[in-house]
Amino acid sequence: MDAYIEFKNVVKRFDDFVALDHVSLQIPKGAFVTLLGPSGCGKTTLMRQLAGFSEPEEGDVLVNGKRMNGLPPFKRNTPLVFQEYALFPHMTVYENISYGLRLQKLPKEEIDKRVADMLEMFNLVGLENRFPKQMSGGQQQRVAFARALVMGQEILLLDEPLSNLDAKLRVEVRTELRQIQQKLGITTIYVTHDQDEALSMSDIIAVMRKGRIEQVGSPWEIYFRPVNRFVADFVGTVNFLEGRARSVADGVLAVDYAGMALQVPTQTPAAAGDVVTLVVRPECIRIAAPEEDVPAGAVLDGMIENYSFLGRMIRYWVRVGDASFIIDDANVDLTGARTGPVKLCLDTHKLHVLKDGGAHADG
Amino acid sequence: MAAGASVRESAKEMKRLKNEPLLLLAIIVIILFVGFFVVYPVLRVITFPDIQDYLQLFTKARWFKAVKNSLFMTLISTLSCTAVAFLFAYVIARLDVPCKGLFRFVTLLPIVSPPFIVALSYILLFGVQGIVTKQLLGLQVDIYGRLGLWIVQTVTFFPYAYSVIYGVIRSISTNLEYAAYNMGATRWQVFRDVFWPLCRPGVAGGALVAAINVLTDFGNPQMIGGDLALLPTEAYMQISGWYDMKTASVLAVALLIPAVVLFLVNRFWVGKRSYVTITGKEISLNPFPLPKWVKWGLFSLTMLISLFILLVYGTLVYGAFTRAWGYDWSLTLENFQYVFQKGRQIWNSIRYAFMASLGAAFLAMVLAYIVQKKQVGINKFLDFLAILPGAIPGMFLGIGFVLAFNSKPLELTGTSAIMVLALLFWNIPTCYSSATAGLQQISASVEDAALNLGANSFRSFKDVIIPLLKAPFLSGFVLAFLRSVTCLSVVIFLYAPATTVGTISVMVLVQSGQWGEAAAFTTVLITIAFTVLRLAQWILGKQGIKLEL
Repeated sequence: MDAYIEFKNVVKRFDDFVALDHVSLQIPKGAFVTLLGPSGCGKTTLMRQLAGFSEPEEGDVLVNGKRMNGLPPFKRNTPLVFQEYALFPHMTVYENISYGLRLQKLPKEEIDKRVADMLEMFNLVGLENRFPKQMSGGQQQRVAFARALVMGQEILLLDEPLSNLDAKLRVEVRTELRQIQQKLGITTIYVTHDQDEALSMSDIIAVMRKGRIEQVGSPWEIYFRPVNRFVADFVGTVNFLEGRARSVADGVLAVDYAGMALQVPTQTPAAAGDVVTLVVRPECIRIAAPEEDVPAGAVLDGMIENYSFLGRMIRYWVRVGDASFIIDDANVDLTGARTGPVKLCLDTHKLHVLKDGGAHADG
Repeated sequence: MAAGASVRESAKEMKRLKNEPLLLLAIIVIILFVGFFVVYPVLRVITFPDIQDYLQLFTKARWFKAVKNSLFMTLISTLSCTAVAFLFAYVIARLDVPCKGLFRFVTLLPIVSPPFIVALSYILLFGVQGIVTKQLLGLQVDIYGRLGLWIVQTVTFFPYAYSVIYGVIRSISTNLEYAAYNMGATRWQVFRDVFWPLCRPGVAGGALVAAINVLTDFGNPQMIGGDLALLPTEAYMQISGWYDMKTASVLAVALLIPAVVLFLVNRFWVGKRSYVTITGKEISLNPFPLPKWVKWGLFSLTMLISLFILLVYGTLVYGAFTRAWGYDWSLTLENFQYVFQKGRQIWNSIRYAFMASLGAAFLAMVLAYIVQKKQVGINKFLDFLAILPGAIPGMFLGIGFVLAFNSKPLELTGTSAIMVLALLFWNIPTCYSSATAGLQQISASVEDAALNLGANSFRSFKDVIIPLLKAPFLSGFVLAFLRSVTCLSVVIFLYAPATTVGTISVMVLVQSGQWGEAAAFTTVLITIAFTVLRLAQWILGKQGIKLEL
């Protein structure tokens, strides 16, 4: 993997608080990379090291092999879309979008042309002379995108740009945004705490926690093969089954759980007697039909405790042994929800095994 | 330990200043300026008399009475100001009634007028030659003294309380009251349990602002106080009649103490108890309608007071065009010819106010920028310096300037400079608070955004910060200008024949019974103030900014 943007052992402290703790990350050219994590995990701080709004105490920030440390923000060519947009309130839409180009002293015709392209792309034609406060949140947000993209740089930084939009608009914009990014081939870093945004838009996701990167991988890896409980829990709803490995043979792990036996195909090295944690997504469990012939080694007995009808699916809470499982059943029956004792079929290929109970690095 | 850490942090921040010489220079200049033109004069006044002189406050019956009278007048005027202010604020913010534009206008008038104008009109209406007392009723009453002053102070200073109370009432979401109705509360219970407790900090804040103004006011008591001994007027008499600076200083200090107490209480006690939260997105329902008789009762009361205030101002304008008030009611322009002859004084008013406000707005802007946007380790101290002059009564500052600058190192007595400097530093807190409010609107990320798009520090300051500061700068400037043009108390001790300003002329004219000329002078001053205000509102309005007074 050829790194276009690279963070090397970056350390950033605010007084005694370690915001970034030896963070390293390689980003290939043209990729859409999401920094995902809860608030205070250091994701925005990491992005700001690249934009130059603050300087790391240790480590390097490289772009195309060139060291960026010490370069002031206005020489970095890393346009950023701010969470609160940061549009200049005293400038019109046109003036906002063209500001960076005017600083470069480009000829008027070229500025006009490039701004016009942006207005077109972001559906802002006719709003050129509006001031930011005369526009809706969605429009302001599109101006913020246009102002960053008009610079025509190789890099685009996005700091939770969708968090101020309502839910429906958010879904629309993220699809559009991804299409534009792919069309222009811009290397993009996207900061968010929203797992849906991360999964739906990214080529690569870096999950962060307490100033460290916990896992880097494709959305599929992050979702189905999380490295620990934190990642599994942060990226979607999850059931953890803690059991004891009984035997390993031909890449299949036999696990005892609540007196029932499961056969799980896995590459995670585990030995008989180990305590393992199975990561089971709610949609990887199916409730068997009453008279169904269920395959051995993939079945648990449970009792439905509660449910919630969501239209496209039903979410069940099912008691199995001491634990309550969350199960999403997409096969909604017209007459209503299931009740009482049921058999649960696990899609064992989609299960994932964590060793040592899936503890975090810092325990 | 926390204190130790913050001291260390401050020291670290101060060390960084070495890399920003311009910032360091600005801070040093500001500290020296405020020290020399505010702190030094204040200390001069306090240390000028000795213990014996101070003891006179208790031994000499007249001074003791002046203290008592001042405090009593402040108390009753504050109560009435607050009540009227609450009525206006409630009616304007919460009732669906006509004529709100008129009510708002009425609350604005006293703020743009010289402080003694109500007293002057009151004399024209009810005095010995009063149009109501003599002409309509044929009465001979003595209106000078406690009652007259009380009415005049109420009309003059309720607008200051109004603007605070109105701000708070407007920010109380009606949803809270609906929530209480929803839980079964009656109208009275909602008022008592929800609305009033939420208003209370605003009412307290408004009352304190009114109290400070009434306590330190000089113009109205001077004109209508009659024999009533009050601290500001007694101090003035000591200087103008007896050249007794020591006694004047003692009385001024006696005035300073309650003023500082009121100021501190307002800033640190009321300020912290405000429930106001600005969420911006909250949608409030229309206020729950009051019973008709309550609504129209409140409306009538507000209308009555408004008409009285309009009468006061109308009388003034009428007086300005009347040949000899009380004797010859024919209309004339002679009074304005007189003002025209004294044009130099009007010109002085404008000139000094312009220079002082420009200086104050600029100094306050720099100060506010440093306090808000830079971490220099002594931000709290600088903030304190900026608000300090607000605690000092105008006449105290005037006496301080007399004492501090009548000899070396800086001899300014009788110059224009001393007038401008006194007005400048007297207005710093006004400009500082509007600058601070403006700066808080600018989010840090806007400056970052400019840097991010390729603007260096200088460009981003020029392209983004300066344009955004235009509005707060202008509104600070306008407020300071209005205050300066209409100011009497600060300059009354500082003027010389060549540097006389309009307000001083009015006072002299009133005392010699030349009411027509006084009214004409005042009318011209109000016209100037209003023109400047409307001009500024128009300029700011074009940029979509509302000028708040």
